[in-house]
Amino acid sequence: MAAITLKNIIKSYDKTQVVKGIDLAIEDGEFVVLVGPSGCGKSTTLRMIAGLEQPTSGDIIIGERVVNDIEPQDRNIAMVFQNYALYPHKSVKENIVFALRRLKVDNQEIERRLSEISEMLQLEELLDRKPADLSGGQRQRVAMGRAIIREADVFLFDEPLSNLDSKLRSHMRTEIGKIHNKFGRTSVYVTHDQVEAMTLADKVVVLHDGYIAQSGTPMEIYLNPSNIFVAQFIGSPSMNIIEGTLFNDYLDIDGYHLPREQLSNVAYQASIPDSGLKVKVGIRPDFFNDKAFFSETDITFNFTNLTIDLIEPMGFDKEILFNLAGGSVKARLDLRSEIKRGGDIDLLVDLSRVLIFDYQTEQRL
Amino acid sequence: MIGKRTVTGRIGFALAILLLVSFSLLPFAQILSTSLKHQYDWGNPSLIPQTINLDAYKELLGLTEAKKVEIPAAIQKILNNPKLPQDKKDAIAAKYMSNDNLFPFGKYMLNSVIFSVGAATFSLVFSVMGAYSISRLRFKGQVIIQRSVLFVYMVGGVLLMVPLYQMAMNIGLASSLWGSAFCLFLIYIVQTLPVGMYMLGNYFRGIPFALEEAAMMDGCSRKEAIIKVVLPLSLPMLATVFIYCFIIGWNEYLFASVFLKQYPEFHTLPLALQELFVSKNAIWDRIMAASMLTLAPIVICFLFASRFMKGGKTDGGVKG
Repeated sequence: MAAITLKNIIKSYDKTQVVKGIDLAIEDGEFVVLVGPSGCGKSTTLRMIAGLEQPTSGDIIIGERVVNDIEPQDRNIAMVFQNYALYPHKSVKENIVFALRRLKVDNQEIERRLSEISEMLQLEELLDRKPADLSGGQRQRVAMGRAIIREADVFLFDEPLSNLDSKLRSHMRTEIGKIHNKFGRTSVYVTHDQVEAMTLADKVVVLHDGYIAQSGTPMEIYLNPSNIFVAQFIGSPSMNIIEGTLFNDYLDIDGYHLPREQLSNVAYQASIPDSGLKVKVGIRPDFFNDKAFFSETDITFNFTNLTIDLIEPMGFDKEILFNLAGGSVKARLDLRSEIKRGGDIDLLVDLSRVLIFDYQTEQRL
Repeated sequence: MIGKRTVTGRIGFALAILLLVSFSLLPFAQILSTSLKHQYDWGNPSLIPQTINLDAYKELLGLTEAKKVEIPAAIQKILNNPKLPQDKKDAIAAKYMSNDNLFPFGKYMLNSVIFSVGAATFSLVFSVMGAYSISRLRFKGQVIIQRSVLFVYMVGGVLLMVPLYQMAMNIGLASSLWGSAFCLFLIYIVQTLPVGMYMLGNYFRGIPFALEEAAMMDGCSRKEAIIKVVLPLSLPMLATVFIYCFIIGWNEYLFASVFLKQYPEFHTLPLALQELFVSKNAIWDRIMAASMLTLAPIVICFLFASRFMKGGKTDGGVKG
């Protein structure tokens, strides 16, 4: 078991900087998910923790040791690879116990751990097969077993579910969660899938273009994104961004005036010119409610007479699109709303969920 | 395309294959047949000997008593010529009476095995190291090295033979038996290394690097990862490269003829065969039997190695 600290990690290949200075503290036993679009440096960061890449500058500390100059094999880390990387010439059993055999763990102990792991991952039937004879999901489980059996200090996951179909993916996601709860090892998990990030993480770290855009618990990130990139990356469907103008006592969106004192999230203190301040306003589709089923209170705002452009029924939910301030805005309503295309609707929004971003920097105000 | 073939199409195809196979196998059948024929049967164009005669094989493998050699009548006539000086007569008689240059097959075979297996082993080890570094490591001049290695292979042996021998002379290696043998050894390794590296390098590139990384995460050093993961996965190609090097060494004549000329007891099979062809012992059945015995190890070696040459070893390791 070990905590991990990254201090101002920079990684460049030739002249391109991939990771541009990451500071991160991962506590002992914490499950941290690095999430971001492709090319944001998340896999590179993980590989630097593993020791498969050398940071150009900065320190990586695992437990008490600075591990920059320690070879991967001496870091006591287990890793699950995106493409599984099973040894094709070895049976499932030999794949799983490979590390233990190398450490000369005695046979009884190997058998004990193997039977525990293979029961947990339902691999008992497959132990004598070769990787070529397994399905994708089975290979994934073998790769998990190979990592878990080590009882290493740190678990690293490099997009472990991205090669599975969606049903298997959500099943394995649950399994990974259970395994973490059982063993409680420090884990770092890389993914581009925000659902995995939200469901698995104790702490989500959103990476953007080689920097940490924001880190925090999944709910912090969801409710209080610090900029538009994070706001739109986390959450599905992604947050609506609408242009608006901020005045001293209200926020103007396409003629709707949202009272300023109720917008509890606005910390903007500098004086605002009389002509107002152009801003971007973020409202998640989930926070719109059909007025027909929710009562108005003093912290809600009523967007009246919105014209519905499109309806996408999703089963329990239905997503509707309407036009606001020259942009298309999405709202997620539940199945009770009886609406039709071209019709009008009144939508309520909790004012404390309306986020305001700087027009230029796209940072939260 | 459904690819349904007509009867005539099938027959034509079968005939074409038959023609091709017989074209490549006929010379071998001819060798085998002649090696088994009696002297009176040589003129017979049939491939099947009238009676099987194993004498040639027995003789080569040292299973028969050495025969007393008679001087042929024509030579006897020359010897009877009173005008010929006595010392010339003795020389001629000795040449035809002597029995010791009969083919000591076992010894030549052993020489050949030592040279070709030894060179192939070393060549394989160096190929693995070279191929791994040009396919996996990043270093300055990598591409130049990678390409120039193959360049060696483009230069024919005949061109290099004289300069190489001169070099060996100049540093004094060619003047001793072990020096010459060492030179020949080196030459075989250098000759086979480029192709070995090329074949293995391409094969290594096909093995996903993630497998080595996985081994490293499992506690292996890079060397261990190579030995425990890369090499077992490369067995088919390792076998192929070994056989390739072995066959080159086994059949090599040119350099052996230069470096081993003065050391008859170290002659390899191709060299000995050539000597046999031009000696007075050049009797058809014996030549063919010797050829057959020279061929045999290669065939056996190939059959043995083909077990390792099954492809698809890396299937299922990685996805995507």
